[in-house]
Amino acid sequence: MKIALCSSFVPFLKGGAKNIVEWLESALQEAGHQVERVYLPTIYTADVLFSQMMAYRWIDLTDSADRIICFRPPAHLIPHPQKVLWFIHHVRFFYDLWDTRHRGFPNDGRHRGLREALHAIDTAAFREARRVFTNSQVVSDRIRMYNKVHSEVLYPPIYRPERFRCGSFSDEIVYLSRVERHKRQHLLIEAMRHTRTGVKLRLSGACFAKEYAEELRSQVSMAGLEGRVTFEDRWISESEKVEVLADCLAVAYLPFDEDSYGYPSLEGSHAGKPVLTTTDSGGVLELVKDGVNGLVVDPDPRALAEAMDRLYLDREVTRRMGRNAQARLGVLKITWSHVIERLLS
Amino acid sequence: MKVLVVNNMAPFVRGGAEELAAHLEENLVASGHEAEVLRIPLRLDPASRIPSQMLMVRALEMFNVDRVIALKFPAYLIRHPHKTLWLLRQYRQAYDSSDAGQSNLPEDPPGQEIRRVIRNADNEAFGESRRIFAISKTSQQRLAHYNGVNADVLTPPLNDAELFRGGSSEGYVFAGGRINSMKRQYLLLEALALVPRNVRLVIAGQPDTPQDAARLTQLVEAHALGDRVTLDLRCLPRAELAQYVNRALVCACVPWNEDFGYLAAEAAAAGKPVITAHDSGGVLELVRHLETGWVVAPEPQALADAMAAACLSTTTTVNYGTAARDHWFGMGVTWPKTVERLLT
Repeated sequence: MKIALCSSFVPFLKGGAKNIVEWLESALQEAGHQVERVYLPTIYTADVLFSQMMAYRWIDLTDSADRIICFRPPAHLIPHPQKVLWFIHHVRFFYDLWDTRHRGFPNDGRHRGLREALHAIDTAAFREARRVFTNSQVVSDRIRMYNKVHSEVLYPPIYRPERFRCGSFSDEIVYLSRVERHKRQHLLIEAMRHTRTGVKLRLSGACFAKEYAEELRSQVSMAGLEGRVTFEDRWISESEKVEVLADCLAVAYLPFDEDSYGYPSLEGSHAGKPVLTTTDSGGVLELVKDGVNGLVVDPDPRALAEAMDRLYLDREVTRRMGRNAQARLGVLKITWSHVIERLLS
Repeated sequence: MKVLVVNNMAPFVRGGAEELAAHLEENLVASGHEAEVLRIPLRLDPASRIPSQMLMVRALEMFNVDRVIALKFPAYLIRHPHKTLWLLRQYRQAYDSSDAGQSNLPEDPPGQEIRRVIRNADNEAFGESRRIFAISKTSQQRLAHYNGVNADVLTPPLNDAELFRGGSSEGYVFAGGRINSMKRQYLLLEALALVPRNVRLVIAGQPDTPQDAARLTQLVEAHALGDRVTLDLRCLPRAELAQYVNRALVCACVPWNEDFGYLAAEAAAAGKPVITAHDSGGVLELVRHLETGWVVAPEPQALADAMAAACLSTTTTVNYGTAARDHWFGMGVTWPKTVERLLT
């Protein structure tokens, strides 16, 4: 089948919303399909949102593609008789972020009008699609609440998950993710001060906000944790990731209220390691069940410290939760074969 | 510097221009820049679609880009404060093709209106660009004539020059590339009917329409040329096309007023001379009559004479081929220089 994968993007930014598109592309190609990737730029600014939506509406792939799969808005507006959405987020400041500081424009008549129009257009785009999938329950809930449309959660797998393996269990809990304030690496460093065991912590990932990296570095040295905390603000290669995860004790992933479960928690699960997260991490909680395949605690240094000590002390439980983490992926059907079967149904 | 190359996309098809954009991206990276290609899917047929596609490109917004290099109509309508055009393609049906009666734009008022819209948008896009490069003198002159634009010529390097190594001749005349009435392969068949029976012709490439293919097969039949002609009418892998060139005695390339003679450049790289016509446009910038090939009238008899001459004295033909190769490589068309000029 000729399948066009359509999404919006920011030139020269790697990762992020591109992963789901490009990993699906290679999975579809392996399954024997012809894939064309359509990335168009977009800026989510209220003033130019609608003219861009019009532009996307004028993309015509009707005769060239048998099916299109659309991801990031406004790509969901591209018309096609066999359109499937794998929707990853709304233009959120016109939805759930309206009443927050993220809105960035006044709550006036004009913007309320824009909001109303956007909701109506989005709803129409959902309705004209053959099927609507989302990447998380959170996004599905929003579509039901704001657009009154049913959607199916289709959890995005990671690229070639079979690469990951479980080796041994060291003393180190690892947090492999971009280093950003909302990922809250600082909470874990703070927690390390309260641990009572020999548990160690590794924080690795690319960092755009250099001041946050500096803050973490001084936090480590102020607490005299150099021997027990390893912090590297650099991009971690995929092969390195496989090695680190194979022998760690557990993985941590505790962003503040993210929509999806996050690839770091998925990678840890594939490596047979339990996931440590917090009660306010959002979509991660769709994956991690406390005491089953990881630990879910309050976003509080002491609670985290206690959880880290438990992972360190009770190795039998840690191993069992690691095995459960792997099994949970099957329960949630986080596999490329399931994804392709649903998207092409 | 973050350089975004902006090009048209024909979904699921990768033509020469896509390859060129990919090579440009690669060579921008090699010279120390960040580079990406933005491919915009476009549907320009029927012509009534054109205005919406132009507006679509015009309405796109982006950030995080320092420099745009745009290649084709209408992708080059994209807005950016620092935009350089390297015009691989204008919408010629709104310009010289239209004046020559070769346009797909209807002559009725709506057709006239589309032509006017294209010309206006082009003028605006050219006016807002920092620099404009044409791929040949032919396209430079058209830009000056119709749009009043002073463009510099920047000859595109070959995408896969390494395939065109040359080799010993198997004695045939070769005509490769897309097949349609503008490329005029039919003239070569009409010419072949007028030359001695020892001249053989190979035509290889993808016909634009079934009618374009039928025209050639009917000519072969009508003139009973079956034993002297090979018609390989399909989209050939580049390596196969290059093999045809490498084993040819001489290449023939007789399009009507083409912007740039890729086929002639490939022939020259392989050390093969080229038979072309007075009105073939950019091809003439690469072929010198009785030095690197033959430049004759776009008529069967004149082309027949050139083919006969090429096959009669093969030593001369081989010498022309060597001269063609020297001329092409003497032009010094390389990627590093191309990238440097595009970023000036």
